[in-house]
Amino acid sequence: MKLKLMIIAISLTSFSGIAGGFDFGKLIEEQLKRDSTQPAPTQPAPTSQPAPATQPAPQPAKPKFDPFQLGMTLLKDYSVEEEMRIGHQIAGNLLGAAPLVKDNALQQYVNQVGNWVALQSGRTDIPWRFGVLDNEAINAFAAPGGYIFVTKGLYRRLNNEAELAGVLAHEIAHVTNKHHLKVLKKSSLIGALGEAAGRKVEGSDQIVQNLIGNGAEIMARSLDREAEFEADRHGMVFAARAGYDPWGLPNVLQGLATLPNDSRTSLLFKTHPHPADRLASLGDAVGDRFDRVSGKDLADRFYRIR
Amino acid sequence: MKSVWIISAALATMMTLSSALAAPGTVLRDEKLYAQAASTSKVVASVKRGEAVEIVTKQGGWLKVKAGKNEGWIRLLSVRSGTGGVGGAGVGDVVGAATTRSDPTRVVAVAGLRGLSQGLDEEQLKQAQFNAEELARLEANAVKPADARTRASRSGLVASNIAHLPDPKAASRSSSPWEESY
Repeated sequence: MKLKLMIIAISLTSFSGIAGGFDFGKLIEEQLKRDSTQPAPTQPAPTSQPAPATQPAPQPAKPKFDPFQLGMTLLKDYSVEEEMRIGHQIAGNLLGAAPLVKDNALQQYVNQVGNWVALQSGRTDIPWRFGVLDNEAINAFAAPGGYIFVTKGLYRRLNNEAELAGVLAHEIAHVTNKHHLKVLKKSSLIGALGEAAGRKVEGSDQIVQNLIGNGAEIMARSLDREAEFEADRHGMVFAARAGYDPWGLPNVLQGLATLPNDSRTSLLFKTHPHPADRLASLGDAVGDRFDRVSGKDLADRFYRIR
Repeated sequence: MKSVWIISAALATMMTLSSALAAPGTVLRDEKLYAQAASTSKVVASVKRGEAVEIVTKQGGWLKVKAGKNEGWIRLLSVRSGTGGVGGAGVGDVVGAATTRSDPTRVVAVAGLRGLSQGLDEEQLKQAQFNAEELARLEANAVKPADARTRASRSGLVASNIAHLPDPKAASRSSSPWEESY
């Protein structure tokens, strides 16, 4: 126990900052793997055990923190099952903030397009689900486990199916690259220690809810800029692999670059690099690589909403 | 009557030709302007990063732009549409604040825009309650991969093998937390 607390103190300092040259995480992981093979101690947990660390820990260990939960959320990679549980909780909460547009034909259409693009991502171990949120904000969201959402505000700005494919592909890339899971993994230790494990959340998974914080607030957090650029690069490739015009996503970014920062765009602009930066970064990667790639924009097959 | 017809037809044609474009843009990197939408065509001029252009039309991965007295084709990803500079920490950029580097462990601040917002804001997301009914609708509208394949094939979409794009910063960056193997 004492060892665990010390490890937590060390890992807090190494995880909360920019990763240093030395890989503390790996070391801790290996140490705890060895630790976890031992049978669980039967004596009661100490009521108050100060962390014996030289550096101050941001959060003192609370007596009732659950080492099992901590282990699940921090010390190993999430299994596909855990990933889907996390995504299920986030998606359910997000739908609590913004319901789906009440148009089943529209919802099925985005699932048709989205699934076809997702098939090009190489990730077939999760069931992909796509939805259009009844909200005027201009944004799109991805949650682990294959949950992808586009707002009505963004959907209405799209001109053809290739642009929809490009937007969905960017979000698909967040899932295939496990960008949100990496954020959770980095912040879960603080979360597990800082959040009381006793809050009641109706109809949902308490352990997962503790991990993701309040409601769907994780969808309001920024990913690393590099993660967004990576999702743009991968997204453009996924859409092109699916046979779409590869310029769908860049065209959407061009449109976003003209928008003012108002209540429809504030969250998008707060959580993403500026569209001009995204175009420039994508341009650095693309160069002449798509000069001989062509695809369909399927403007006539695009499902239009009012 | 006939002349009215001709005038309106001419106006309609002009509007179609210029379409929605003829919009302002800003060059994102030092670039060449080509005579046609192909890098194998003749170079007609060059433009500098930050230079203002007028976007005339687009075609695939190319934009036809006017830069001063020059007109030519430039790569779509070498220009941003709209005014407001080249992005980044660009001065006078209305959304420049959006580019600050984020700390994923940071506690999200309360936005304080609740009730006024047309869109989803942080506070709404934070307060969101699990909606099982909407999640069930999401599941009900899901489609099987096989169905998506059939639909794509009917739409004339053919999958092809295209390699991932390189990370342009990979060489200059020692280690990124996003690239660790998972």
